[in-house]
Amino acid sequence: MVRGAWGRDPLLPRAFSLMAVGPGGTADILAKTVGRGTALLEKGLPGAELDILGPLGSSFPSPRADTTDLLVAGGVGLPPLYMQARLAAEQRAVDHSEMIYGGRGAADLVLLAEMEAMRLPLFLTTEDGTVGTQGLVTRALEARLDRHRGTSVRVMACGPNAMLWAVARLAKSQGVPCFISLEEQMACGIGVCLGCAVPARSRPFRYVCSNGPVFDAADVLDVVPEGKPPGVAAPAECPS
Amino acid sequence: MSPSPVNLAIEAGGIAFRNPILTASGTFGYGREFEGLTDLRTLGGLVTKGISPKPRYGNATPRICETAAGMLNSIGLENVGVEGFEQEKLPYLRQCGTRVLVNFFGATFDEYVACGAALDRLDGVDGLEMNVSCPNIKAGGIEFGTEPRVLGELVRACRAVTKRPLWVKLTPNTSDIVALARASADNGADGLSIINTISGMAIDARTRRPKIATIFGGLSGPAIKPIALRMVYQVRRAGIPLPISGIGGIQDATDAIEFFLAGASTVQVGTQSFIDPDCSGHIVRDLEARLAADGVTDVREIVGALRV
Repeated sequence: MVRGAWGRDPLLPRAFSLMAVGPGGTADILAKTVGRGTALLEKGLPGAELDILGPLGSSFPSPRADTTDLLVAGGVGLPPLYMQARLAAEQRAVDHSEMIYGGRGAADLVLLAEMEAMRLPLFLTTEDGTVGTQGLVTRALEARLDRHRGTSVRVMACGPNAMLWAVARLAKSQGVPCFISLEEQMACGIGVCLGCAVPARSRPFRYVCSNGPVFDAADVLDVVPEGKPPGVAAPAECPS
Repeated sequence: MSPSPVNLAIEAGGIAFRNPILTASGTFGYGREFEGLTDLRTLGGLVTKGISPKPRYGNATPRICETAAGMLNSIGLENVGVEGFEQEKLPYLRQCGTRVLVNFFGATFDEYVACGAALDRLDGVDGLEMNVSCPNIKAGGIEFGTEPRVLGELVRACRAVTKRPLWVKLTPNTSDIVALARASADNGADGLSIINTISGMAIDARTRRPKIATIFGGLSGPAIKPIALRMVYQVRRAGIPLPISGIGGIQDATDAIEFFLAGASTVQVGTQSFIDPDCSGHIVRDLEARLAADGVTDVREIVGALRV
């Protein structure tokens, strides 16, 4: 959770994924300016004083020598997969990891040189075709799943919800384990405000901040988009 | 450490607190979530998440959104229920080193009474705080706490089942906060918590949809502090003979002092705990320094000391 010293408004800290952790307690995050909070963060650079609470929540499963991990990133959803790719590179497991990275256009794709330097196979897609293959990440993922058919494969993804559900469905249809990193509105990051609830199969709700942000897609797939889990009875308009 | 030059200890609503800084219900979980993030032993007390007779899973999502200097929430009073509270949460709270008030509510009149009676039997509970901002389903969904007569009956019925200190957390969604305070006092309450969240809504102009699933939610944060101060002061000025715990947008020691001046004996820090989990600890330390700098030797000197 990240917040600048900008007074009482905007009020809440913003949740970011860690992209890299360096020596001496340094960390990298990737921010895209989408609203007032991120605009203030950008404006304060460099040298802004920030309040940071973290690291919080769960990570993707560690790389394994006997399994190929297909890392699927959409736009600003790159950071946790970038970290996963770095982890694979450090553990010399890059032979077993591939990155599929997509966006609307070339401007959405960042850190390409860094990822190339890690020597992991990189498959780029853009909706407008300015970089890589034209189309969505799911098409590239389908091709890679075909290529690895019959071997041990996992999918790990982060990006817009529509992308995540498409990726999770595709993985499910092929019987491939899939882990997704979700984003939700949250105020605290520590399981207290209960704002970042996502309906799940294992329990009526799980929390992006403390149970996630990485979930086994099977636990949340097809439960989340509709937003209403079975058996949840609450008076509709009870504040707090 | 040298002895404190300022007395912060205060007895309020039947409970002796080491200092007047408490954490508000719904913003501090069941205490344990803050382990390692703040030292509970430095706080005056904590108020738990609201407990109902049976567990509740809460509302559909999205449940929260940010607003100007505040936030809206409609969590739906998700909680572990009385039994879950006793088994999973209370053992930690018994040894956490601060006063524990248990906030509770029900969906019906009988549920309130059952919940109050069940909590009364638990060891390690220093006091009870009634959340009366719930819709009374049998009365068409109007909040229990908005109608003085209904509120008075509810307080009296809960009073009859517990000898523990009983505080009533008043809803600000009323045209007459004093009438609600009086109804609570006349029916046996020991203290008043003022205020709960203010009903509000937020709209996404692009999608033309409400920003939270239940359309309406409770507004909290610094945006509501002037309203909370006004209501605390109105109740104090009316001479309602109960100590007030002031709540609404408190972020620092100055905010807390403003509530004491308006008439609160204790304060509860709410939304700010989301932003800084250690904020109540900071406020305790800063409060002492601020009062010492102003030549105040006892926090009780400034309760209701507003100059008008």
